Amino acid sequence: MALAVGIDLGTTNTVIAAVRNGVAATIPGPQGRRLIPSIVSFLPSGARLVGPAGTERRLMDPANTIYSVKRLIGRAWESPEVQQARPKLPFELREGPKGGTVIAARGETFSLPEISAFILGHAKAVAEAHVGEPVGRAVITVPANFNDLQRAATKTAGRIAGLEVLRILNEPTAAALAYGPQDKAHERIAVYDLGGGTFDVTLLDLAGNVFEVLATAGDTALGGDDVDLIVAERMADDLLAKHRFDARAEPTAFGKLRILAEHVKRELSTQEEHVVSVDDIVPGLGGTRVAWQFRMTRSDLEWAALTLIERTFKVCGHALEAAGCEPAELDRIILVGGATRMPMVARKVEQFFGRAPVVRINPDEVVALGAAIQAALLDKTKQRAGMVEHPRIAEESVVEPLPATDEARPPSEPPPGLPVVSKKDPRPPSPRPPPVAQVVARAPFLSPRPTKPLVFEIPETRAVLPRTTQLGAAVARGGAPSQRPAPPPLPSGPPRRSPPSGPPPLLSFEAPPALAPSAPRPAPLLIDVTPLSLGVETVGGFCDRLIDANTPVPCDRTRTFTTASSGQTTVTVRVAQGESKRFEENTFLGEVELSGLTPAPRGETKIAVTFVIDPDGILDVKARDDSTGREQTARLQLVGAQTSPAEVEEMRARHAAHPIGESAGVLPARRPIAGEA
Amino acid sequence: MATTDALTLFLQSLPKRSYYEILRVPRTAKAREVKSAFHGFSLLYHPDRHVGASDEVVRLAAEIYKRGVEAYACLSRPPLRERYDRALEDGKLRLDASAVAEDLPAPPPPMRTLETIATTPRGKQHALKADRLIAIGKLDDARVQLVSACQCEPYNGELAERLQALYEALALEPL
Ligand SMILES: Nc1ncnc2c1ncn2[C@@H]1O[C@H](COP(=O)(O)OP(=O)(O)O)[C@@H](O)[C@H]1O
Ligand SMILES: [Mg+2]
Repeated sequence: MALAVGIDLGTTNTVIAAVRNGVAATIPGPQGRRLIPSIVSFLPSGARLVGPAGTERRLMDPANTIYSVKRLIGRAWESPEVQQARPKLPFELREGPKGGTVIAARGETFSLPEISAFILGHAKAVAEAHVGEPVGRAVITVPANFNDLQRAATKTAGRIAGLEVLRILNEPTAAALAYGPQDKAHERIAVYDLGGGTFDVTLLDLAGNVFEVLATAGDTALGGDDVDLIVAERMADDLLAKHRFDARAEPTAFGKLRILAEHVKRELSTQEEHVVSVDDIVPGLGGTRVAWQFRMTRSDLEWAALTLIERTFKVCGHALEAAGCEPAELDRIILVGGATRMPMVARKVEQFFGRAPVVRINPDEVVALGAAIQAALLDKTKQRAGMVEHPRIAEESVVEPLPATDEARPPSEPPPGLPVVSKKDPRPPSPRPPPVAQVVARAPFLSPRPTKPLVFEIPETRAVLPRTTQLGAAVARGGAPSQRPAPPPLPSGPPRRSPPSGPPPLLSFEAPPALAPSAPRPAPLLIDVTPLSLGVETVGGFCDRLIDANTPVPCDRTRTFTTASSGQTTVTVRVAQGESKRFEENTFLGEVELSGLTPAPRGETKIAVTFVIDPDGILDVKARDDSTGREQTARLQLVGAQTSPAEVEEMRARHAAHPIGESAGVLPARRPIAGEA
Repeated sequence: MATTDALTLFLQSLPKRSYYEILRVPRTAKAREVKSAFHGFSLLYHPDRHVGASDEVVRLAAEIYKRGVEAYACLSRPPLRERYDRALEDGKLRLDASAVAEDLPAPPPPMRTLETIATTPRGKQHALKADRLIAIGKLDDARVQLVSACQCEPYNGELAERLQALYEALALEPL
C-alpha cells in the first residue's frame, strides 16, 4: 500500500516526513540531509537537477537555476508580486496562458506548479528510495495566508508530481499538531515562523484535542535571507575598505558573499564570534587570488538584524488584535523556521510575549512532521484498520536545549562550492543558560536523559540528544518516566549509534499526569479557517463580502444573482479575496460564468450561487436557477490556473517524461533538447 | 447504514433549527460555551472525523458541518449574534447571505432613485442619467447631471439633499 507522507514545500527548503509504526520522522536523502533546497536547476541537456547541489548551481548557472518559486506560485502575470520580482530574479519569467506566469529555461517554458512539482517529485523519490515503498498520497503544507489561487496551484503541483493530495494544510497548524496537545484543558498557542523569505504568525486555541485557528498574519518579504543580505553588505564594505574591491559591482562575487554570509550567520547561532578566510573572491595580479579575512561577532550580527526582527512583532501585534487577545494571554509560543535558530529571536520573542518560547522539535522539520501526522490521520486505509493514534516524534527531530559545548555540536559544513577556511573563535563559547522552561513544560513526557551528550551522525548543525517524546494517545501507555520506553523503530537506512542505557536522570522530573494507562486519547482534530475574506464585485467597483476571514472550513454561502437585461442567457460574477471594500484592491481570483439561462425579462431569472470553501481552503462554486429549480453550470475560471483534469494530466505526463539530471555537471543520457547543439 | 440514516435525518431537520439549536447551546450561552459546543459539534461532523467512511456519510457530514460553521460564524461574533437574535424574534432561523460582520450596523434601507425623487419631465431625464452614472461609479459625471436636475426643480429639497450627499462623497474620494 502506497505510503502517505507530509511535505513541507518551503520557499527555501523542502522536507518530507512520514508516520511509520507510530513514529513521525523526517526522511533523509542519500547523503543524510533532511532539508532539500527548493531549487530546480536545468542542465545544458535540459535535464533537471533538484537536491543539495542547488545552492552551488545558483552561482554556476543563475539563468537556469530556479529558486523561490513559492513567492510566485498562484500569482497572475499582472500581479505586483510577479512584476516586482521580475527584475530581481536572474531567471526569466514570461506571461503564460490565462494570464498566468511561466518560467523559461533552456528553451522550454514551465508553469510555476510544474517547477514546484519537480521539487515534490524529488522529495517523493527520496522517500521512496529510503523507505523502499511507493509514495502515493501526501499532505502538502502552505503558509496560512495563502489565497485560493496559491493553494490551488500548490495542489496542482502535487498532482503533476503524481501524488494524490490528501490535504493542503496550513504550516502553523501542522506545527501545532506536531507539538500535540498538552494536558491543560484549554490553551492558546502562538506559532512564530521565521523562514528563509517569509514571516508568519498564527494564533490557535487548543481545547482537549481540538485545534482551532484564531487568526493569522504575515509578512511575505521578511526572513533569514534578509539577514544574509545585511551580513553580505557588511562583507562588501569590508572588501572595499581592505582591498578596494567592489563586490556589489560583480553579481557573481556578491552571490558568493551571500552564501558566505549565510554560513557566518549560522555559525553565529552557536558561537560568539566567527572568522572566515576566503581567497577566491578578490582577483589579484596575473590571475592570482587575494586572501581576505572577515570577522563578525554575534553581537555585531544582532545589532545589524535588530530592526528586522523587530518588524516581526508588528505582525504579531496585528494577529493579536485580530484574535482580540494580549501577548501575555498566550500559554505557549512555538518557534518554527530555520531562522528562529538565531538566539536573539528566542530572546526577543520572550520579551514580547513575556514567556520563553518552545523549541523542542527542530524548527525546520516541525512543519513536515505535523503534515505527516495529518497524512496518517487522513489515510483511509489506516483509518479503516483502526491503526491511527497520535504518533510520536522521532528522537532525531527533537532538540535538546543544552548549554552549547563544542563536543555536542557537530561542525556545520561550509557552504558548497566555496573553498572556505573557517576558524573557530579561539575563546571557548560562553555557556548559554539552559532554557529550563521548555524542558519542564514537557517534563512528564520525557524519558530520562543520559549523562553524556551524544552526537548522532546527522550532517545538519544541531545538538542532538537521544530522547523519546510521546504525544497524544501514545502518552497514555508511556508508563512512569523512570521506565525508558522502548526506542522507536528507526527508519531503515544508515545505522545510527544507539543511546547508552541506564544512567540516572540529571533533572528530576515531575510525576507523570494521572492518566489511566489504558485510556488512549482520541485522534486530534484540526479546525482550520480561511485566511481571507471572499467577496464578489458589485456595481460601482465595490466588494460584497460573502465569507469572512477566519471562518472555519469547510464552509459555504449562497447568494442570488439576477440578469441585468432581458433575454440574457449568461451571467458573469467576478470573485476576489481580501479585506478591502474596493474590489480592485483585493486579489482577483477569477470569474464564475453562469450559462444556459432561459431567456426571460430582466431581473426575472434568479440564480442562487453557492460558494464553497473546501477543507483545503480552495474555492468551488455551484449554481441553481431559482425560478426553474434547475442546476446551472457554473464554471469557475481562475486567473492563470490550469486546473482542469485534462491540463493537469498533460503536465503530469510531461513531468514524468522530463529527464532527471544525475548530479552537477554530469550529463544525463536521456532526451536531447531542441535548440541545444 | 444506520449512520447514513441518522445523518440524513439530522441534515433534514436543520432548516427547522435555530443556530442555537444546531450547536445545542442555550440562547444565553457565553462565548466560551458557544466555542466548546462548536468543538463538540466538530468532533461529530467534521469531515476529517469520517475518513474511511462511505462517500455518502462523508458528504452528509460535510453538509451538516457547513451549517454548523454558519451557526458558529454568527454566534461567535457579537454584532452578528445581536442581529441574529433580532431576526430570530421575527421567526427567521437563518441570517441572510449578506450578513457578514463588515455590513454592521445594519445597512440603511435602499435609497429612492433620483428619478423617482424628481418631479418634472426634464428633471427626471437628468436624474435618470445621474442614477445610471452613480451605478457605474462615475460620481463626477453624475454630479453634473444632478446639478442640471436641481436647476430644473429648484424647489425640490430632497433632490438638493442628494446633491449635497454626492458632493460629500466626491470630497471623500481619494482621487
Ligand atoms: N542555525 C541557523 N542559524 C540561523 N539561521 C539559520 C540556521 N539554520 C537555518 N537558518 C536559516 O533559516 C532559513 C531557512 O529556514 P526554513 O524554515 O528552512 O525556510 P522556508 O520555510 O522558507 O523554506 C534560511 O534563511 C537559513 O539561513
Ligand atoms: Mg517554512
